[in-house]
Amino acid sequence: MKRRELLTLSGAAGLGLVLPSCSTNSGTDSKSGPGKPSGKPIQYWTSFSSAKNQQYFKSHFMDAYRGSSKVLLTVKSTDSIDRLTQTALAAGKGPDIVLTPGPSQVAAYNDAGYLADLTSYSEKYKWKEKLASWALGASTIGGKLVSLPTSYESMAFYFNPQVLDKLKLIPPKSRAEFENFCQTAKGNGLVPLAAGNADWKGANEWHLTVMLNHYAGPKAVYSALKGQTPWTDPVFVDTVELLKGYFQKGWFGGSVDSYFTNQFPKVYKQLASGEAAGMISGTWEMASLPDYFGAAAKNTATWDWTTLPSLRDGVPEVVWDLGVGQSAGVNAKSPNVDGAVEYLNFLTTDVKTLTAAIEAISWQPTPLKLTGADFTAKADPRLKRLYTELPAAKSIGYTTWTFYPQETETYMIQEFEKVITNTTSSKDFCAGIQQKFAKELAAGKVPAAPTPTGLAS
Amino acid sequence: MSTAITQLNGSAATPTAARPRWRRLFRDNSVKGWVFMIPLIVVNVVVILVPSVSALYYSLTDWTGIGGAHFVGLANYAQMFSDADFANALWHNIIWTIFFLAVPMSMGLFGAYALSRLRRFALLFRVAFFIPYIVASVVSASIWRSLLSEDTGFGKILGINFLGERQWALGSVAFVNNWAWWGFLVVVFLASMQGISPTLYEAAALDGAGPSRQFFSITLPSIRPTFMFLGLMTIIWSFLSFDYVYILTQGGPAGSTEVLSTLLYREAFTNLHAGYASAIGVVMAAISGVVVAAYLWIRRTRDWDI
Repeated sequence: MKRRELLTLSGAAGLGLVLPSCSTNSGTDSKSGPGKPSGKPIQYWTSFSSAKNQQYFKSHFMDAYRGSSKVLLTVKSTDSIDRLTQTALAAGKGPDIVLTPGPSQVAAYNDAGYLADLTSYSEKYKWKEKLASWALGASTIGGKLVSLPTSYESMAFYFNPQVLDKLKLIPPKSRAEFENFCQTAKGNGLVPLAAGNADWKGANEWHLTVMLNHYAGPKAVYSALKGQTPWTDPVFVDTVELLKGYFQKGWFGGSVDSYFTNQFPKVYKQLASGEAAGMISGTWEMASLPDYFGAAAKNTATWDWTTLPSLRDGVPEVVWDLGVGQSAGVNAKSPNVDGAVEYLNFLTTDVKTLTAAIEAISWQPTPLKLTGADFTAKADPRLKRLYTELPAAKSIGYTTWTFYPQETETYMIQEFEKVITNTTSSKDFCAGIQQKFAKELAAGKVPAAPTPTGLAS
Repeated sequence: MSTAITQLNGSAATPTAARPRWRRLFRDNSVKGWVFMIPLIVVNVVVILVPSVSALYYSLTDWTGIGGAHFVGLANYAQMFSDADFANALWHNIIWTIFFLAVPMSMGLFGAYALSRLRRFALLFRVAFFIPYIVASVVSASIWRSLLSEDTGFGKILGINFLGERQWALGSVAFVNNWAWWGFLVVVFLASMQGISPTLYEAAALDGAGPSRQFFSITLPSIRPTFMFLGLMTIIWSFLSFDYVYILTQGGPAGSTEVLSTLLYREAFTNLHAGYASAIGVVMAAISGVVVAAYLWIRRTRDWDI
């Protein structure tokens, strides 16, 4: 959900082009080639962040598909696709492939009996060999595989190398370096970290995710997700208190007030123009940033990324925060479950199609075990680095939108603003998290989380 | 041929027998009225009655908006009393209502009275005042977001982040909504004022009454039914206000612009508490019901007409 909605909100230019097609909900079908599709057509509803992506998807994920069933694509508005899907499913209709904003909503759909059991297909399509086990784990409920991740992501530290050279700064690797980075940038009249949530309140949880994984640390978070450590533990209260302090110093977005009104285009422009020294956000930004840097933006600015700093002793220097941006299941009432699963398998595991999409439009792939050999020479080295290093992570963190249950997550998004405006204390905020989490843990609504020791195994 | 004529005659004979009763029935004006009402009744049942009854039912359940619902009695209503977010949103709605009863109503009255006195360019001003009302709220809100911006707009000049500072946000959103709203009030008040007999003003002027005295002694009492009706609608619409708040601040920062409708939306579609959201909707409808009942009571006791 986070990524998909963010991309739509941030891709202002593309959005304008996409909207006309969204408003008509125009259905287009795939020319399934000479393979003579035999099964009932597959209904696929989705939304796109830009017209370019929509066109690319149609050419490479639909027209190029050679499965047993034809695919009928219906483009919906990003704002309404979830509600339209829910309504259609409740009426016993809806698309054959059900897109969801992530594991927390998958659980709700599964509870309602909307999703088909995909467990038996896992062996047939060798998903365990192709897709990361943590992602399959997060897609499994009560021993049943009910969805597949259709995109995955991590958090990153973005910077403009020219600005850092000018300030004689390097991307921070520790808390001391991070605080020095922000102080120096602020002292030079820059916004230390470009940030804002005017377009998407969910941006609040990105910062919480980063602080929890890189200050409290993955072990503490994992323990809390398992219900072994309460969220009221001092390590979490200190985490929130530290982040609150950073916000109130104006390190995120310039000031707390500005953070509330900064829109994504402004955030990207600040990074490109040198008004901001860095930016902490998700790897989905790699699709948005090219429009603001270099030839596309008629400037000479460049961007790069690195992993986030360790903010406390004992927390590994490199932690990759894992997130599933979108999941897809198959409608339990689909008249062609086999055909739908076949297409879902193509969408999620066709390495050639997915790596080509990464190279062409910075497409966010599924958690495939990619290596350098999967990419061509055309690949952007920054994206290639991300998608080859991430599957080999030795220490992982947990994004709130993937591993936290739904009510806890929304509480964190909504109440965090009260913390940074001094309306709620960090302690009360953590007590609220604990209250929500305990209820959802008892109800079995917490998605399965992998151990923090990494994915390399 | 003769057979055909016979058949025609014969076939005509059967409806002739039924026609008088059917015609009699249709000539009854009350029946005719109901027949014409059928489409409207169907539409109202489908889009108002069924959703209303559903909302009432779901307000008594723990429905998430996905899947089935379980009966929880009055738990959602009990939760509302201890919900700080609900109290906060209700308080903002009360402030919002007071603002809209005071500011746009006064501006609308003053604007209409001034326009009623204009001899030239009256139509031009009327159109100018009305245009903001017909502009889509998303467009108005986007324009005002830029105008209030701390980077490029009034916010930069005044050093205030209108939509980002908690103490300014609610007032700023209300201001933007008012900008789009008050022109509508001008046009409605003006239409009402044009129904006042000019002889009343002439007589008052002869008696030495100035514009201010004429306004309070002739204009205001003469348009009282319109004034009361718009006051009633302002209260109801204030409790339903959603678009400007959602577009400009989404209820933020830190809940400082949250109103009941944005809270309802958040509970239903973000928090997946559709049952609780239904209960909020029922309370909002009840508030409007109380306002309408009070208005009808005043009308009856004071014998006012619209």
